[in-house]
Amino acid sequence: MTVIPEHVRAQLKARFELRLTGPVDLTLYTRPGSSRLILPAGLGCATCEDARQMAELLRDAAPEKVTLDVVDTSRDQGRADADQVNDVPTMALGVDGESGRIRFQGLPTGTEFPALIDAIERVSRAEHSLNAVSLAELAKLKEPTEVMVFATPT
Amino acid sequence: MSLANRIALASPQVRAVCVEANEFPRLSAEFGVRGVPHTVVNRGGAFVGALPERDFVAAVLEGAGIPVDEGPGPGGPSTELGG
Repeated sequence: MTVIPEHVRAQLKARFELRLTGPVDLTLYTRPGSSRLILPAGLGCATCEDARQMAELLRDAAPEKVTLDVVDTSRDQGRADADQVNDVPTMALGVDGESGRIRFQGLPTGTEFPALIDAIERVSRAEHSLNAVSLAELAKLKEPTEVMVFATPT
Repeated sequence: MSLANRIALASPQVRAVCVEANEFPRLSAEFGVRGVPHTVVNRGGAFVGALPERDFVAAVLEGAGIPVDEGPGPGGPSTELGG
């Protein structure tokens, strides 16, 4: 495993054991990899294999709580379309089989990795920690709303 | 990005997508990403930088076309809503 070192895996397992209280459904939308080769848009996927290994490690850190569904979009584009996934790798977090509304597009390393762990824990605990004023404001949303946050690993 | 995820957890209307900007350069260019975090609501209004909860929620509402009726909102030098 090149993405997450052994000591981090051990930390993750211990942390999940303490913090995960409910199920988390992890869906990884992927495509056959192209190693590290950068191919023209639409061909191959330079980080899909790493993303798959990361997703498996997350599941293996708490297999009784975290489920993993891997969708190969080259074989099941219909599923990607239905779930409105445009690019791979995309990792989606949800519960009860719903199409996950918390998504990480690209390999979440560096500063994005803690955000992924935080998101898994929050989904598991159904814990958004927003204040009452924010919740009242968000209740005004009556249509699907997409919030994209561009970030970098460093 | 944590705040966007928390909002998605709280509101069934919201989907939060954290995009690794370096890995999707065309998408980053399409939305004019020059610094991070760069947040785009409904592929329209955008703001750069971390905002406190109240301002972030206001920016999401404004990006979704819902009037924000109190306070200074998400203003400030790093905000470019409606862009």
